[in-house]
Amino acid sequence: MVLAVKAENLKIGYEDEEIVWAVKGVSFKVEVAEIFCLVGESGCGKSTTGNAIVGILPPYSITDGVLRVFGKTVIEGNKRDYTGVRGRVVSYVPQNPGSSLNPYLTVEEQFYYVLNSVYGWGRRKALEEAAKYLKMVDLDPGRVMDYYPHELSGGMQQRTAIALALSTGAKIIVADEPTSALDAHLRLGLIRLLTRLRDTIKLTLIFITHDLLSAGKICDKIAIMYSGRILELGPSGKILTEPLHPYTEMLVDAVPILGVLKPLKAYGGEPPPPNVEVKGCLFLDRCPKKFEKCYQSHPSPEEVHERIVECWRYV
Amino acid sequence: MAEPTIVKLENVTLGYYTIPKGWRSLFKVKQPIVFNVNLNVIDGERVVIIGESGSGKTTLLKTILGILPPFQGKVYVLGKSIYDLPAKERKKITRQIGYVPQDPYKSLNPRVKVETVMMEPLERSNLTDREKRERIVEALKLVQLHERILEYYPMQLSGGMMQRVLIARAIVHDPEILVLDEPTSALDVSIQAQVINLLNNIQRKLELAMLTVTHDLAVAQYLADRVIIIYKGRIIEEGETRKVLTQPSQEYTRLLISSYRASI
Repeated sequence: MVLAVKAENLKIGYEDEEIVWAVKGVSFKVEVAEIFCLVGESGCGKSTTGNAIVGILPPYSITDGVLRVFGKTVIEGNKRDYTGVRGRVVSYVPQNPGSSLNPYLTVEEQFYYVLNSVYGWGRRKALEEAAKYLKMVDLDPGRVMDYYPHELSGGMQQRTAIALALSTGAKIIVADEPTSALDAHLRLGLIRLLTRLRDTIKLTLIFITHDLLSAGKICDKIAIMYSGRILELGPSGKILTEPLHPYTEMLVDAVPILGVLKPLKAYGGEPPPPNVEVKGCLFLDRCPKKFEKCYQSHPSPEEVHERIVECWRYV
Repeated sequence: MAEPTIVKLENVTLGYYTIPKGWRSLFKVKQPIVFNVNLNVIDGERVVIIGESGSGKTTLLKTILGILPPFQGKVYVLGKSIYDLPAKERKKITRQIGYVPQDPYKSLNPRVKVETVMMEPLERSNLTDREKRERIVEALKLVQLHERILEYYPMQLSGGMMQRVLIARAIVHDPEILVLDEPTSALDVSIQAQVINLLNNIQRKLELAMLTVTHDLAVAQYLADRVIIIYKGRIIEEGETRKVLTQPSQEYTRLLISSYRASI
């Protein structure tokens, strides 16, 4: 079976005075119709990884390793080729739907522009397709089509952005923090919508978030990223209930849960800045369970209990 | 003896003015957002206002801060009805409020050093420069930041550090009450935990009243002795945190809690 996304030792850097590596070698597989989460703090490289899958890395970025999307190699070494993939196979739903839709165009025009530039369709064909996808996300095409983005509510904007992403026939959607700007009940609606799309049209979802709990609610698999590496990767239920890596433990401890008044554990410290060469484990500074080995080098990924963990305690 | 009241709202209705289309644009039309609200915050109390976006919670804070006069009702801060006073007098009173805005990334001027940011609330005090500096260092110590960062520009700090600078600025002039607008919604979970613990420590140490606005129920239970649920501009439930969040009496609160549970 073809994998939706496969990354092998993928590295992504940005060219500054010297190369700053945002992603320092990650490997993962995403199966078709799977919901995969990249979880981490700001600056850990999760958005960069997402951008690499969609093909919207800036021209001054530098890559290494291999990335395949539905069997097509899109990144190999420093060569990138997204023809036939970007937009048609993978699509992107940004964090803030309000600022991602063009404020000068009605919803109808937005769909026409996208479908016309990707497939060269005429207005009638484009709008027929648009109506189909708007219905899929529970919007009434007759009502929404003539609206400007600011006339829609936050949840409707978000759903319009999803319909727009789907309308090109995309099989994979990369969603960058889609729920962080929403209230609880809108978030619930969005989660239900996305899981339904996964079941009905076999959509593969790559979900980028910093909220471990909402990730656990939606996703089949979670990858915990830190400072450009995946520290722990595995099925979401297991990661939340029996975290192996100290960093995952720390994230689980830090999340407030409604109805459970446990003391919130706040671990101090910050991830190492991306332009600094770190000797030893990347998580060393904040790790409460470090020992001699951790000071020498960053551990390589090991398979433990159906999970992949990068920690010297499991080598 | 009753505890002194810090903030008190009496039958407050407030909102914004809209200008209709056509010839009627000569007249402004009142568009109320918050209706008939009564609110009381006493000294040393932690109150959280919970509501969805558009429920009017930020509008409510604006009137307490003295920047949005109500259509009806009285707003008392430190025992004075602030909108009955001339603007100069009003500012003298509202200066006793420490305010932490919602988004740290947008609230600090990128061209101004942290030192200047921290100095601002003390500008009108008659302290010497040395005393001011001491105050600032003390406030920074409370939020666990090093003196060194005074020389930094906001963009050199991380989101959590910026938020802590804003908290330090809010407490540097020794206010009576700390008003926070969604203090953690722009932060990562690990930093969120740090900020929550920090706020509670400061509140205990300085014996401040604390009024927080949030849509996050789980955060609310850590920051509140008393919660107020607001829906479409009306207070629909209020009471002790544990009681409201475990045995809500209103249908809406129940709905809010169940959808929160299901989505997180």
